[in-house]
Amino acid sequence: MQNADAVVELTNVRKEYSDSTALDGVSLTVRAGEAVAVMGPSGSGKSTLLNMIAGLDRPTSGEVVVHGTDLGKLSETGLALFRRRGVGMIFQFFNLLDDLSALDNVALAAQLTGTTAGQARKRALELFGELGISSRRNIYPAQLSGGERQRVAVARALMNRPALLLADEPTGALDSKSGEQVMDLLLDLNQIGQTLLLVTHDERLATRCATRLIEVADGRIARENTLERA
Amino acid sequence: MTAVWSAAWAAVLRRKLQTIVIGVVVCAASATLVMALGLLEAAAAPFDRAFAAQQGAHLAAQYDADKATGFANPAAQATAGPFRQATVDTSEGEVFLGTLTVVGRADPGGQVDRLAVSQGRWATGPGEIVLNRTPGAAGRIGLGFRVELPGRPALTVVGFAHSVTGSADAWVAPEQVEALRPDALQVLYRFAHAGTAAEMAAATAGLPRDGLLGTLSHLTVKDKATSELGVFIPFLMIFGILGLAVAVLIVANVVSGAVVAGLRHIGMLKAIGFTPNQVMGVYLVMVSIPAFAGCVLGTVAGNLFAKPIVQDAVEGFGVDDLSFAPWVNLVAALGMPLLVASAALVPALRARGLPAARAISAGTATHTGRALRIQHWLGGTGLPRSVSLGLGMPFARTGRSALTLASVVLGVMTVTLAAGVTMSMTAYNDAVRPHFTDRVELMAGPPPGAPAVRPEGVEAPAATLSDAEDEAMLRSLPGTTAVLAGTQLDAEVAGGTQKATIRFYRGDTAALGPRVLTGHWPDGPGQVVVPSRFLNQRGLAVGDTITVQALGNRTQVKIVGVVLTNNADEIFADWSTVDVLGPGTRAATYLVRMATGTDRDAYTAAVKAADPGLQVLPPRDGTSSTAVIIISAALVLTLVLGAVAALGVFNTVVLNTRERRRDLGMLKSIGMTPRQVTVLLVTSMGALGVLGGLIGVPVGIAVHQLVVPLMAQAGQADAVDILMNVYHAPLLALLALSGVVIAVLGAVVPARGAARLSIATVLHNE
Ligand SMILES: Nc1ncnc2c1ncn2[C@@H]1O[C@H](COP(=O)(O)OP(=O)(O)OP(=O)(O)O)[C@@H](O)[C@H]1O
Ligand SMILES: [Mg+2]
Repeated sequence: MQNADAVVELTNVRKEYSDSTALDGVSLTVRAGEAVAVMGPSGSGKSTLLNMIAGLDRPTSGEVVVHGTDLGKLSETGLALFRRRGVGMIFQFFNLLDDLSALDNVALAAQLTGTTAGQARKRALELFGELGISSRRNIYPAQLSGGERQRVAVARALMNRPALLLADEPTGALDSKSGEQVMDLLLDLNQIGQTLLLVTHDERLATRCATRLIEVADGRIARENTLERA
Repeated sequence: MTAVWSAAWAAVLRRKLQTIVIGVVVCAASATLVMALGLLEAAAAPFDRAFAAQQGAHLAAQYDADKATGFANPAAQATAGPFRQATVDTSEGEVFLGTLTVVGRADPGGQVDRLAVSQGRWATGPGEIVLNRTPGAAGRIGLGFRVELPGRPALTVVGFAHSVTGSADAWVAPEQVEALRPDALQVLYRFAHAGTAAEMAAATAGLPRDGLLGTLSHLTVKDKATSELGVFIPFLMIFGILGLAVAVLIVANVVSGAVVAGLRHIGMLKAIGFTPNQVMGVYLVMVSIPAFAGCVLGTVAGNLFAKPIVQDAVEGFGVDDLSFAPWVNLVAALGMPLLVASAALVPALRARGLPAARAISAGTATHTGRALRIQHWLGGTGLPRSVSLGLGMPFARTGRSALTLASVVLGVMTVTLAAGVTMSMTAYNDAVRPHFTDRVELMAGPPPGAPAVRPEGVEAPAATLSDAEDEAMLRSLPGTTAVLAGTQLDAEVAGGTQKATIRFYRGDTAALGPRVLTGHWPDGPGQVVVPSRFLNQRGLAVGDTITVQALGNRTQVKIVGVVLTNNADEIFADWSTVDVLGPGTRAATYLVRMATGTDRDAYTAAVKAADPGLQVLPPRDGTSSTAVIIISAALVLTLVLGAVAALGVFNTVVLNTRERRRDLGMLKSIGMTPRQVTVLLVTSMGALGVLGGLIGVPVGIAVHQLVVPLMAQAGQADAVDILMNVYHAPLLALLALSGVVIAVLGAVVPARGAARLSIATVLHNE
C-alpha cells in the first residue's frame, strides 16, 4: 500500500546478526508531520530499527522506503548522499567531533553538501540563535554541558533541513531538567511540521511529545497507540 | 595464570589487527636490523673476513730451490709448502691469460691458504689445471678449456678456486708442475700476531735468508684489495645506519601507539582493581607477545633474505660462504625486544600514573589549543571538508605524527641517496668505461715488450700495412670522423714499488682520448697526465716531475693534468714521448669514431679488406661489476626501507582510525561518503608525505655530498663535479614525490578499510 504522504515505509524488515535476530519482520509507516516514539526493553531492536531508516545499516530482508526511495537500491555512496539531506540524526552520546568548535561541528553538515564555509557558519549561527545556544558557539564539546552538547547535535541534525528527524534516546545521557529542555525543543520542531521518530525509555516524555507510540519487543512491534498530546 | 597474564592474553586475541601489525612491523624491523648490522659488519672488514675464513697466508715467500737450506720460521704458527712454482707466459698461446704464476699443490686445504674451490674440482693428475678466480666473477673461459702452449704439456681447466691473498694464478698437481719448468719454491706462513707492519716485521725477522727471492705480506695485499673495493664501505655503512634508524623509529611508533590506543582499556582495568603495576604489566605483556614472535621470525628472515644482498656486496672479496657473525643475530634477537620494551615503557609508565577516570574518558586524541586553532582555520579555507579535516588530523597527535614523519623522511632520504649514488656510479662508469656504439676498436699487434690484452679465443692480430698507412687508410674510409692511435708500455716509476702502464696516444685525442679533469692534455714530449688515484697513492701533485723507465730507457716527465680513469697505475702521454722510451714503436690499437648512421658491419668489412691483419674488437661492455652491484644493492635497500617506512604510515593510520572510529562513524552518519572518508585519511598522511619529501630530499642530498667523497676517497680518486652534481630539477621533484608515494601507499589500505566500516557497528560498540 503506497501512501501519498508516507515519509517512511518499512515492509516486513528483518535484521539478523550472527548470534541474534534484532528485527523480526517489522512493518511500519510514518506520515509527514507525525511524531512517533519507539519504546521497549533494552535489546528489543529499537536502535536497529532507527539505523535501518537512517540508512546506517541494511536489513537482512524486507524493504525500507524513505521519501519514496528504496534504500536497498542505493550504493554506500548513494546512502551517504541520502543521509546528507534526507535525514537528521541525534544520538544518545551526541557524537560531536572533539576538535571542532560547537559552531564548526554544526557547519560541517552543510559543508558536506557543498555549501561554503562562510555560508555554513552563517546558517549554523541562525540555528544556534533559535536553539538558544549562541553564546556557546566558539566553545569546544569537551567544555559544554550534556544538554548543550545535545542541542548542538540537534542543530547539526537540522542543518540541511531534513524532512525526517531521527533521535535515539536523545535524553538518555541527560539529567531530567536538560532532558526536558531537549524534549521541548523536539516538540516545538514537530509543531512547526518536522516529522520526528524518536527512541526513548522515558514514558512521560514520550507521551508528552509523541502523536503515536510504538512498543517493540523481541524485534517485533508489540503494540501501537495513537496519543493525544498532553 | 595470573590476572595480568589473562588480561594481556585476552587483549592480544581481541585486538587482532594491532597484534598482527606489531608482529609484522617488528618482524620487518628485525629483518632490516639484521641486514643493517650485517652490512655494517661486512663493510667494516670484508677482506679480514675472507682472510680469516681461508686462514690466509700472512706471508708468502719465494725461494731459489738450489740455494735454499731451510724454510722453518720460529714465529710461524703454521707453514704450508714448499710448493714448486713456475712462471708461464701465455702470450704465445691461443688465448692470452697473462703471465701466470702456477703452483704445484696436491691439496687445496691445509692449515694455511685454504683455497675455496668454487667451480669444478681440484687438479689431481697430469694435464689438469685450476685457475684462480673470484667467486661470482665472470670470465670467458669455462671448465674444460684447454691451455695449449708451444713446448709445454696441454692443460685442461678442471676447476676454479680462489685465494684471498692471490698466492697463485693457477694450480696444478705437484708432479705436473715439473713439466712447466718451475723456477722457485713457494712457502706460506701464518703467524700468531701479524695485524700491523711492526708485528709483521717481528714475525719475518726469523725467516731463513738463504735463497730468499722475495716476500709478499698480507698487509700489502689487503691495502690493494681494500682500495679497489673500498668504495663500497661508506655506501654500505650509510645504508646500514639508515636501516637501523628506520627499524628503531617504526618500532617506537608502533609500540607506543598500541599503549596510547589502549588508554580507555587501562582505565577500566584500574576500575576493576588492577594495581598500577599490574596495568603496566598487562600492556608490556600485550605488546611483547607479538613482538617476540615477530623478532624471532624477522631474525630468521633477515638471515635468509638479507644475506644474498650482503653477499652480493662483499663477493668481490671472495667471501663465498657468508654467515652473519653471531653478534649480529644476538643483537637483533636481544636488542629488538629491548627496544620494544623501552618503547612500551614510556607510555606504559604514563598509563600507570593516570587516574582511572581520566583514562576512561581519554578515548580520543588529546586536544591542544594549537591543534584546535589549526582545525578551525582549515575549516574556513575553501578546501573540501574531507581534505581540511584530514589536514588537521596530524596535529591532534603530534608525537605520533612526528615519529611517522621521521620514518617518511628516512624513506625519502634513502630514495634520494640511492638515486644519487646510482647516478654518481653511472656517471663515473660512463666516464671511465665509455660505451659508445659509434666507435670501433682495432688492434694492429701486441705493444712492444708485453703481449697486449686482447679478448680470448681471437686470432693474434698482425697488421699488414705500416702504422702511417693504417692511420691514413682509416681516415680515408667513408664514415670515419675521428681516429685515435695508441700503444702502451709497461714502465717503472722511480720511487714506487708498483709498476705502471704508460699509454701513448696520437690523433684525435680531444675527441677520443681520456677525459682531462684538470690541467691539459700533453702537448709535447716529456708531459703526462695521470688519474687522481695515481697522485694520491704516490703523494704527487700536478706540476711534479717523475722518472719513468721502460724498455731499458729512462726519462723524466712532468705531470700536467689529471684524467678520470679507474686505474691507479696508468700514465697517459702524447705520442711524442714514445719516441724517447720506445723509438720506432708502431700503434698497437686504433680507435675510430664513425659518423652517425654508418653501418658497423660494412665499416669493419672495409677495414678488413684494406688491412686483413687488423683485428676488430667486439664492442666493449660498458658496465663494471662494481657499479652493477652497488646499483642493485641500492635498489633493493631502497625498496626494503621504503616498504618499512610505508608500514610505519600504515600503522599510524590504523591507530588513528581506531581512535577516531566513533568520529568517522558520525561523519558517515551525517552523509560523508566512503570515498570522502578515504580521502580524509589519505590526506592526513599525504600531508606528512609532502613534508617528509621536503625535508628528506635536502637531507638525502646532504648525505650524498658526504658519502660520495668518502667513496671516491676509499677508491683513492677525487670527488669531481660529475660525481657530485647529479641532482637536477625534474629528478628533485620526483624524489620529493616519493614521500607522498610512501605515505599514500601506507595509508590507502587501512583508510579504505575504515571507510567501509559499518557505522551501525561502530556506534553500537561505543
Ligand atoms: N552491530 C551489532 N552486532 C551484533 N549484534 C547487534 C549489533 N547491533 C545490535 N545487535 C543486537 O541486536 C539486538 C537489538 O539491539 P538494539 O541495539 O537494536 O537494541 P535496543 O533496543 O536499541 O537496546 P537499548 O535499549 O539497550 O539501546 C541486541 O540483541 C543486540 O545485541
Ligand atoms: Mg539502543
